[in-house]
Amino acid sequence: MEILDKERRVYVLGGGISKFAAERTDANMRDWINEATLEALEDSGCKIQDIEHTTTSYFSDHFDKQLKAGAIFHDNIGMCPKPNVRVEGGGGTGGLAIRNAYAYIKAGLCDSMIVIGAENMGRHVPSDVAQQFIALASDTDWEVQVAGFYIAYYALMMNAHMEKYGTTEEQFAKVSVKNHRNAMSNPKAHYPMDITVDDVMNSKMITYPYKLLDNCLLSDGAACIVFATEEWAKKHSTTWEKKPTIEVTGTGCGTDYMRLADRPYPEPGIMHFRGKQEGARQAYEMAGVKDPMKEFDCFEVHDAYSGVELVSYEDLGFCKPGESGKLMDQGVFDIGGELPTNTSGGLIGFGHPVGATGLAQGIEVLRQLRQEVDPVRQVELNNKRGGMDSHGGTGTFCAINIFERRD
Amino acid sequence: MGTELISNLLEIYTAEDPMAFAHPDGDPWADFREVMRVEWKVDFTYKHVLGKYSKFFIELANHKFLTTECPNCGKVWGIPRPLCSDCMTITKWKELPGTGTMVSYSISNFVPAFMKVETPYVLAMVKMDGADTLFTHQLRNYGDIENIKMNMPVKVAYATEPVVHPMLLMHFEPA
Ligand SMILES: [Zn+2]
Repeated sequence: MEILDKERRVYVLGGGISKFAAERTDANMRDWINEATLEALEDSGCKIQDIEHTTTSYFSDHFDKQLKAGAIFHDNIGMCPKPNVRVEGGGGTGGLAIRNAYAYIKAGLCDSMIVIGAENMGRHVPSDVAQQFIALASDTDWEVQVAGFYIAYYALMMNAHMEKYGTTEEQFAKVSVKNHRNAMSNPKAHYPMDITVDDVMNSKMITYPYKLLDNCLLSDGAACIVFATEEWAKKHSTTWEKKPTIEVTGTGCGTDYMRLADRPYPEPGIMHFRGKQEGARQAYEMAGVKDPMKEFDCFEVHDAYSGVELVSYEDLGFCKPGESGKLMDQGVFDIGGELPTNTSGGLIGFGHPVGATGLAQGIEVLRQLRQEVDPVRQVELNNKRGGMDSHGGTGTFCAINIFERRD
Repeated sequence: MGTELISNLLEIYTAEDPMAFAHPDGDPWADFREVMRVEWKVDFTYKHVLGKYSKFFIELANHKFLTTECPNCGKVWGIPRPLCSDCMTITKWKELPGTGTMVSYSISNFVPAFMKVETPYVLAMVKMDGADTLFTHQLRNYGDIENIKMNMPVKVAYATEPVVHPMLLMHFEPA
């Protein structure tokens, strides 16, 4: 892999997020897309008429009970007859959509792209039906039939991690406490909450070691980001150079077998995200990152379940395998710590409307790098670099993207 | 009113602006806050083909635990694969003893309602004797929950009651 055209660079011009909530009964997916897009256009100083291409980011045809929803999103925002492409990779969909925007612009297929993502995951179906839909994202012949569902799969992974490294339930709980707390300064968050480790430990046991408060919730919501080249932005963005300039400097993607059972055993086995290690390696190499712990100012980490965030720290190279729990105890990942993670609240605090989630991560990093977020959660900019990590399944699709501020 | 003509009507209500915090000058969508909600029931049945690994399920009914072995690289997959994804060679069926080691497990107090299983239930990942990768199924008949231990020996047991899916012709039990 070699980036041939080093002169052609891809910038993040702006973003928009429609309120994440348990159930947005005031509107439906296409309305949320409209809201997020209007905000992104204002933030980026662009007119939709000038933007050349769309990427649509959504995960489930079951939740949305609408096949080809991308066509609706795209025509809602007045993009017809311009090109549109859908990207899908489960929980990693949004991260892959950002990567897609980078690739299309870098390749010269367009100079500007709007990425729109949404998911209707709220309470329009009963929660066990929702769990069924999510379970359909594992192998329906071999895993779902034996009563496999995602919390149970992740618990299998974490039990192995706890057994090998001594990672504790309290360390998982600290992730939940941090992310719910960070969400308190994010008005668009689904689940802001001031809770303690005891609250998490005493919440209802779902599948050991995961209690109710260790898990992210199903959220409704949409998000939108506008990307472009410098030349395009100079011509079409009224905010170019009025706001700090943010560039996409790295992207990586890795995968793994759909079923945990098929992954090479015992190494890397079932306790790590091999695809994430691979995606991070590519993204860091592209951005010239050698020591991620020291070279990022913030990182949005995929925290569908609290333990996933800890294992991801290890697979993203923030620390050695088995060390994440100890660092969590030391507060390294808190706001004000060495590497603040999920300042937005992450999936646990901000919410997880799947197709929008990875985009919302990108918007948090964009706003952190522009120093636009609530001062309560604003990080210090030492490297002017932020990262995001988005994954689907039990790490079957992993996308890591890096934004940097240029000034 | 006329709305009684709508047989699947659930409700009509006035929604609040969920982003009022962002709209100090008033709700930009104020004209669009009357919302209708309807019910849409979907119910269908698939006729699903189990493909080239069907023999696994057919032989389960004969109390045999089959998997596939790659004639090129020798890899034995825990879950059968008609094509070895390590070297892209068409595999051969191979019978395993059906014993193994439980390398991880999870105990769930919740299960999506469409899955017919009593809670708590145990999902086990088993390194099958004679295979290179793992197999996932439920562990049953373990007696007291305290008896469940990491790395305990387990064996395939076969169904004695009618099941809804061929995968349920088997489960794991302590060996
Ligand atoms: Zn082979």
